[in-house]
Amino acid sequence: MAPSGGGYVLRKVGWALVTVLVVITFNFLLFRVLPGDPAKAGGKDPRLNPATAAALTERFGLDKQVFLDLDGGNPLDTQYFAYLGALARGDLGESYVFRDRNVVDLLGEALVNTLWLVLPSQAMSIVLGVMLGLVAAWKRRTGVDVAALAFSLFMWSLPTFFLGIILLFVGANWFDLPTSGRVTIGGVAGAWWDNLWDIGRHLLLPTLTLTLVLLGEYMLIMRSSVLEVFSEDYILTARAKGLSTYRIIRDHALRNAMLPLVTLIALNLAFTVSGAIQVEAVFSWPGLGSLTVDAVDQRDYPVLQGAFLLIAVAVVLANLLADLVYGWLDPRVAGA
Amino acid sequence: MRFHRFASLIAGLSLMLAACGGQGQSQGPAASGSGSGEGEGQTGGTLRVGIGGSPDSLNPGLGLLSESFEIYELVYDTPISITAEGEYEDELATDWVVADDGVTWTVTLRDDVTFHDGEPLTASDLKFTLELYRDHEEFPYQSSYPDVFETIEVVSDTELTIVTSQPIGNFEYRMLFMYVLPEHIWSAVEDPTTFENAEMIGTGPFKLTDFSHNEFTQLAAFDGYHGGRPNIDEVIFQRIENPDARVTALTTGEIDLLGEFPVTAVPTLRNAENIEVFIADVAAGGSLTDIIFNVVEPANCPTDDPETADVDETGICSAHPAISDVQVRRALAMATNKQELIDVGEGGLATAGLGLVPVGLGDFYPSDLEDYPYDVAAAAQMLEDAGYLDSDGNGVRECRADQDCETLTFRLNYPSDSDTLPREAEVIAGQWAQVGVTLEIQGIDPDTLTSICCPAFDYDVIMWGWGSDPDPQFLLGVLLCSEVATGFSESGYCNPAYDALYEQQGVETDAQTRIEQIHEMQRIALEDVPYIIPYYSQTVVAYRTDTFTGWPPADPSLGLTDPSSLRVIQPAN
Repeated sequence: MAPSGGGYVLRKVGWALVTVLVVITFNFLLFRVLPGDPAKAGGKDPRLNPATAAALTERFGLDKQVFLDLDGGNPLDTQYFAYLGALARGDLGESYVFRDRNVVDLLGEALVNTLWLVLPSQAMSIVLGVMLGLVAAWKRRTGVDVAALAFSLFMWSLPTFFLGIILLFVGANWFDLPTSGRVTIGGVAGAWWDNLWDIGRHLLLPTLTLTLVLLGEYMLIMRSSVLEVFSEDYILTARAKGLSTYRIIRDHALRNAMLPLVTLIALNLAFTVSGAIQVEAVFSWPGLGSLTVDAVDQRDYPVLQGAFLLIAVAVVLANLLADLVYGWLDPRVAGA
Repeated sequence: MRFHRFASLIAGLSLMLAACGGQGQSQGPAASGSGSGEGEGQTGGTLRVGIGGSPDSLNPGLGLLSESFEIYELVYDTPISITAEGEYEDELATDWVVADDGVTWTVTLRDDVTFHDGEPLTASDLKFTLELYRDHEEFPYQSSYPDVFETIEVVSDTELTIVTSQPIGNFEYRMLFMYVLPEHIWSAVEDPTTFENAEMIGTGPFKLTDFSHNEFTQLAAFDGYHGGRPNIDEVIFQRIENPDARVTALTTGEIDLLGEFPVTAVPTLRNAENIEVFIADVAAGGSLTDIIFNVVEPANCPTDDPETADVDETGICSAHPAISDVQVRRALAMATNKQELIDVGEGGLATAGLGLVPVGLGDFYPSDLEDYPYDVAAAAQMLEDAGYLDSDGNGVRECRADQDCETLTFRLNYPSDSDTLPREAEVIAGQWAQVGVTLEIQGIDPDTLTSICCPAFDYDVIMWGWGSDPDPQFLLGVLLCSEVATGFSESGYCNPAYDALYEQQGVETDAQTRIEQIHEMQRIALEDVPYIIPYYSQTVVAYRTDTFTGWPPADPSLGLTDPSSLRVIQPAN
């Protein structure tokens, strides 16, 4: 790395922290500005009497001022600083809807489920996408290229939800695959590999859907990146030196073509944390996407704030990582 | 208003049929026991029920969603329960009488009831339970049922006295949801309002074996149930978010029973093999769709006067002047074709509405009251006679000269999260256009709808819905003068005669007199038309016929996941 590499890292990390703080504040503000009162989230019902609504309002601290309390007493005894204080203690509050559970638990469970789904899908779509893009660029303007291109464009433009439903119908009716959930409830009697097989059967369709949907993007970016690299002078030099196409790709083109992909992969990995909302909805996969959608519907502010924070931190971290990896891969960037 | 799915909950509670053998993809651990006892009742199996939502809490005090109450009904017992015919019957209590003073009740309990952990149930548990619900305001629903139970005394292990703060005519109704909790567990809980109750120890026919938020709830039959062990071994409520996936799960046999699916799936299910579609009026409750008029009078418009408690918003009260004219509302009632709304919105699977008390509430429903006929000509004539003419012939009537408006153009709002209301709003607009009234339709999200509705009263017409309890007391309270400022009155209606009757029925102990008072209240409401009720939804359930048999075919029905159903079904082999 260039001598200013250390400064580069520090700058990037600094900006990351500032971004996170701005996100936290904006996040908090957003939910307070929207109309609607979570204490009345039970819906209009004569039995939800004013005493209950008042008790719930007090319990959630919604009766305090939002930012600054200038009516005497502690000016920092407000919702905002209460939130920051709790955050510092690692407490994301308790859910308004599941009033006996705290947000950290809910998010934790959902996150694990989402990772089960998204990490394999991302891995497969990256590997397949890169390979496909490479092959298409290598064999450009042949039938292989056209077919790969058509396939990828089709997959990329297909609505996730639609693909999911189609695969669900086909899978459930013709292949006896389950339509929902993570495992067969009631357990599967047998050894641990039976349980693994059960999870695998449930994971198959959602993973397939997500892989197919993400595949197209990686393929297309990889293909155009490789084609661009192929047009560079040093590739011409390599050809002139008599290297085979295979060696050109392996030793020269691939590394440089991967650069744009690094950023793409990092950002996509970050968004995996937000859960594949559509896939989770279609297959009733109890992940972060599902949780977020339900929380929006039910005005569950703490869960939403927690989820948004999680996503923001993940994206910022991934971005930071991408910057650092890029800086390492391409020394010209770090020195700038 | 949420369609609080209480009613569909009650409805859905009756079918717990044991699944016969290992249906679907996996062999459940309870696959044994099926096929035993040839010729006698079959037992065994795991019933799988597909639901779209998920219980929000295992703590009966905290539950808000119907999915939660579905589980409470199976895991807990209440002192008194209700039949599909609307009759109150014993569950934990064998007898209940009120003394001559009208406020002292003596309740006698069964002596053969045990909790799932083996401890016997005594009157002390009931006293503890009633006081727990009553004294915690943070319990959204449960705290209001026992609010009139002032003093509760244990007389013996099986006897209890309750002194109420006033005579009441609906003692049984208040007991319907008092899920009896084990004192020996709950008395050790520091804060019942945050208690997760993960073990859910109750006295009901089923006990909780496993639960995962937003995924599933697993129940197993309780051998020591005082009413006899259910035939089936297990029930699993499985969450399948996507409606199409739910329907597919039923047709492929992954689940055995499905209570929530789009009406468009009904023909598919009817044609599918081994699947029966069951349609019935909802017993002891029901949900209704309503059209609400903003009829709040300027004198009653909520203000932020510090004298009036409970008001945190100033009323805006922006109703179109013509809406306060009862002739306009009556004319619109006659211009509404309820059958068309039923066909469009519910695929024909609903009953035409009348008042706030649904048809499933038995005697409380005023079957001898005549609704406004659907008569477009008469409606148009009524508007003409009232002075609303269409002088420029553009199809929209103008206001009268003495009114502060131009034409009969009203705003119509509905909650945007509804599946059926968007289409129905269009249909209504078309119907009312025929009598010269134009509607500007806008769907908005439920919270925003609440904020313009009440107590702000910043709307003209709202389409929404309600779910009803077995007793009409709470729903009828929506038309009280006293509720205009609290935000529970959606229409802003205020009629002292109605309020007087409401007070009377609240303390009337003679059942027949009370019914008459309630009928009279509905007659008044029908005359003044603060609401038009297009229809009451029916319960529509689909189940597989090849896995379990013995489903109660009653109509009206308490629903197929109610204990009355789930205790009697058998595996089909």
